[in-house]
Amino acid sequence: MAHHWGMVIDLDRCTGCEACVVACRAENNIQTVGEDQAARSRAKHWIRVERYYEGEFPDVKVKFQPVLCQQCDAAPCEPVCPTFASYHTAEGLNGQIYNRCIGTRYCANACPYNVRFFNFYNPVWDKPLHLQLNPDVSVRSVGVMEKCTFCVQRIKAAEVQAEAEKRPLKDGEIRPACVQSCPPTALVFGDLNDPESEASGLANSRRSTKLLEELGTRPKVTYLQRDSWHASENA
Amino acid sequence: MDRRDFLKISGLAGATAALEGCGNPDHQLIRFIPEEDLIPGIATSKPSICTLCPAGCGLIVRVMQGEAEVTRDGRLGLLKMGLAKKLEGNPAHPINQGKLCPRGQAGLQVTYHPDRLKGPLGRVGPRGQGQFGEMTWDTALRQLVSQLSDLQLSNQESGLALITPPLRGQKKTIFDAFANHYKKPLFVESAFFGDEVIRAANAASFGQALPPTLDLAQSNYVLSFGADFLGTWNSPVAQAIGYGHMRTGRPGQRAKFVQFEQRISQTGASADEWIFVQPGTEGLLALALAHVIMAEKLRPAAAAGHAGSLIDGWSQALPDYAPEEIAERTSVKAETISRLAREAAAHGPAVAVAGNAATAQTNGLFNALAVNALSALLGSVGQPGGITFSPAPAIKESSLSLEILASQLNSGAAPVKVLLLYGANPVFTAPLAWGLRAALDKVPFIASFSNFMDETTALADLILPDHSPLESWLDDLPVSGSTRTIVSVAPPAMKPLHDTRATPDVLLDVAHQLGGDLAKALPWRTYDEAIQTSFAALYKEKGSKTAKDADQFWTKAQEQGGWWSAESNAAPVSARGAPGAAGKAAAPHFDGEANDYPFHFVPFASQLFFDGSLANLPWMQEVPDPLTTVMWGTWVELNPRAAQKLSIQQGDLLEVSSPHGKLRAPALINPGISPDVVAMPVGQGHEHFTRYASRRGANPVSILSPLSIEGTHSFAWAATRVKLSVAGRGKPTLFGASLREASAELEHR
Amino acid sequence: MKLGSLDRYSYLVATLGCITLALAAARARLSAQRTNASPQQAAAEVFTPAHPTVYEAVREFLGVRSNPVQPIAYTHKVHLANGMQCTQCHVGVDEGPDARIPSVNFCMTCHQVIATDKPEIKRLAGYKARGEDVPWQRVYNFEPSAHLKFNHAPHIRAGVDCSVCHGDMKQQTVAERKVDLTMGFCINCHQQKSVSVDCVTCHF
Repeated sequence: MAHHWGMVIDLDRCTGCEACVVACRAENNIQTVGEDQAARSRAKHWIRVERYYEGEFPDVKVKFQPVLCQQCDAAPCEPVCPTFASYHTAEGLNGQIYNRCIGTRYCANACPYNVRFFNFYNPVWDKPLHLQLNPDVSVRSVGVMEKCTFCVQRIKAAEVQAEAEKRPLKDGEIRPACVQSCPPTALVFGDLNDPESEASGLANSRRSTKLLEELGTRPKVTYLQRDSWHASENA
Repeated sequence: MDRRDFLKISGLAGATAALEGCGNPDHQLIRFIPEEDLIPGIATSKPSICTLCPAGCGLIVRVMQGEAEVTRDGRLGLLKMGLAKKLEGNPAHPINQGKLCPRGQAGLQVTYHPDRLKGPLGRVGPRGQGQFGEMTWDTALRQLVSQLSDLQLSNQESGLALITPPLRGQKKTIFDAFANHYKKPLFVESAFFGDEVIRAANAASFGQALPPTLDLAQSNYVLSFGADFLGTWNSPVAQAIGYGHMRTGRPGQRAKFVQFEQRISQTGASADEWIFVQPGTEGLLALALAHVIMAEKLRPAAAAGHAGSLIDGWSQALPDYAPEEIAERTSVKAETISRLAREAAAHGPAVAVAGNAATAQTNGLFNALAVNALSALLGSVGQPGGITFSPAPAIKESSLSLEILASQLNSGAAPVKVLLLYGANPVFTAPLAWGLRAALDKVPFIASFSNFMDETTALADLILPDHSPLESWLDDLPVSGSTRTIVSVAPPAMKPLHDTRATPDVLLDVAHQLGGDLAKALPWRTYDEAIQTSFAALYKEKGSKTAKDADQFWTKAQEQGGWWSAESNAAPVSARGAPGAAGKAAAPHFDGEANDYPFHFVPFASQLFFDGSLANLPWMQEVPDPLTTVMWGTWVELNPRAAQKLSIQQGDLLEVSSPHGKLRAPALINPGISPDVVAMPVGQGHEHFTRYASRRGANPVSILSPLSIEGTHSFAWAATRVKLSVAGRGKPTLFGASLREASAELEHR
Repeated sequence: MKLGSLDRYSYLVATLGCITLALAAARARLSAQRTNASPQQAAAEVFTPAHPTVYEAVREFLGVRSNPVQPIAYTHKVHLANGMQCTQCHVGVDEGPDARIPSVNFCMTCHQVIATDKPEIKRLAGYKARGEDVPWQRVYNFEPSAHLKFNHAPHIRAGVDCSVCHGDMKQQTVAERKVDLTMGFCINCHQQKSVSVDCVTCHF
């Protein structure tokens, strides 16, 4: 059966440290836009940590939620793209094909999660910062939309390697940059078509929820709600 | 316009691209012969060590072939070389077990920073003007050797001073040997967010002059008094790994975590209960909890052992610390104190830790001792799920602080002739009140090994830039985060990009040239020889199941990223701690009268800039602060009600005045802070620190009052009071555009 | 120019002029991003996928390539005729995405004794003597705007002969683009061999 990649994010483990945010931009050649562009809401954070505040001092609660492309199975960004640059791959990813993209930005408009970012200018790296660029990932040019790809370069590399070694992929063999770095292991990546995978198991937890599920996007990122502490359960 | 102008303008439209475009070798830089046998496109993994915070996590560096512009023999050209492309945690390293924090990930940008110092520099023009001329290493070393050999080896002070962060491993050996060769050197090893207070408290309470190693993975109840243990305190990655397991790693069991502080920190945001406590009263609160536990016979008083006996009144079960007495002083309700005490006693293993602002008040040592006593009472010290200690060698307490050095220099009591700066930016991490800047002006010769031009290095006379960590031989003996014996080592992950030299190698070279006893004390020619010596000694002491001789042991250690024991070797908790520590209840003192300076000022370690040493990294500037989403800037946080009272709106430029200075930064309204407190991240406000951080924002350290922590030489950086006034309009750059309140639709529970 | 009598040429110039001004303004804003840079720093280079000139951008768009000028008149014909295999020099082609072009040290392992009197070999030895590597010019690449990540290894492992994409090297001296490597070329073979034609197989 074909793979169907998904992710589980355990909000009870996430500490909001943003290791995922930095790991992602290091892995995927994401440009640092600078202060002026950031002030115009053009900073590109393929994964970001949302923070929500509840209540008034001193009874304030803060919640962190990492948000990235949900690789929706009914992605609203796909039907609106006039050139099929945003499309659904055979393995369940929402692919973003940079050379097809003509920069209409309808996809970003349609995305309810705000996870698509546009290259308003050709990105620039002050040399020699460009030496860090990952050769396995394209450097996007102006006029092209970009977003989280679940580190498709790592998925492809692992698939090619497994094929070369004539063996199936192992669960946990593929880890996107964010998943690999997360210290409390809040992020888990895996094949949702494999009932034995860790991701499948965690996705069926009693704490499972999805972001904006009511919009019918069928996101493939499952969030596990923050749990609460009950004295009786933990006696 | 005519055709000529048209072509001219179109020629301008576009920046320089990579030089490969034109396909003609005559128009390109020359290519040097590759020095490494690399296959393009194929990555190799090399171990390394992260040096950006004291935790000492192990790294795996993904190295791939790339083409870099380098200079060889005075010629500029392109060289195909192995380039570090990505940092990951080393899965085998016991401290971080394959994980890595955001700062560790950004360490890559240190190597490739466009403003790195590319070779030795000598000052031209007056000090502080920032004019430097390039020089060769030979000239630079000659100058340094000549300055050092001029220092008199008399019975009086030699005139040598050094400022470094707390050093470990063979670097410490080399620096110590260097310093001790001269009479009465003034050797300051300090860090702004250092852990001297916690070490002093642990030495007294538990006989271990080390920060604690927490076994959170098996904890059931965590009481944190201000410690940002998931962000910037102690060993954040190791602690976060344990935290994740503590939450959902044990089916059916989920620990409770309570945080006491004045401002919701990144760690506090994850607490099950976040409780405001008056600044400096954390110790009182800890002892009130202990009082309840003892009064209700939930744990025997003797369980606290020596740690408890250090506290005045412990043997009488702390009669002065009943919750009703303490509630008003701490602002924590008596019922809450009683309830938490009962919960903690009933849900072991329970552990209490103190850190950050709680141990940076004038009574910080008392607070730490009180929390230690509480931990001991709860029975978790030296036990699974509690506090343990690494078997690493204890850190010797230094009697010299930056403040003392500055005052001695200013008063003329210390005739410093040569100052060596390594890994430190004291002008940034010292409040103006210490007069450090003026003190440095009195030093005739300052040499810096920094690889960036920062505000302290800008005052140097000679700069001998170090390699970046990824280009260096590294070794480390981590002091917390694991109870295994760990000696990390890593060869350079890549060759140097610039004409820099590893500082330990420079010191060894200088020692060799100075000759005499110093050369005898430092017999190695290069740093890796020094590290190899330490590994030979380690092999002799520990032996090895897999290596048949010292050479093989050394090779294997380099491949793995270090040597670590297979088993835990937790250091024993001793009942005989250092006597005479300050166990008497001490109230905190604050500088500034409450009438004139109504707010407590809490500078805090930024998750991204730490103590400001990482502000030069563009990734760290652009990643939003976890709690406020601010990018490329700084802010002053205050409570909405406090803002309303002063008619302050989000974004207003505030003037923050302490009794010792003032600064300006935009206001950020934050519900998670007490109305009597304003907070500011440390990290911005650099005068000089590369194009990304220079003259950006304001430095809260500059206006702090020069108070000390009683019983120590440490700086009480949380003890300043300030007043606010509106000075204009500012506009912080927020990623989230505004702080959002969780609405009903987004409510997940 | 009299109003109302502008001819088509003037309209063209005016439009192109506006576009160029817009591009220049865009570039100015682009430079403004790099704040806090001193004039010396701003003059230092940056890396960007932008084309250096509009002319180059148009050439890439139209798929016009110049023939690269090789520094040494290397001849595949002669080397292959002498029994060498592709992978002896082009190491890595069966392990990873790229085929390595050997350094001058590798060439000199043979050529310090073989054909040392030939003028091209003398030039080769000259590079080595100066401590320089031979500046071979790229022949095979995809336009940057294709955003393509080609991986040699699966193709070699699948038994695709080098000549399928690179032409019969036994007939070539310096490498030349004998085969038109369009996307259609790739897709045809993929479809014939029943290999994935999912976009994200190559474009990421």
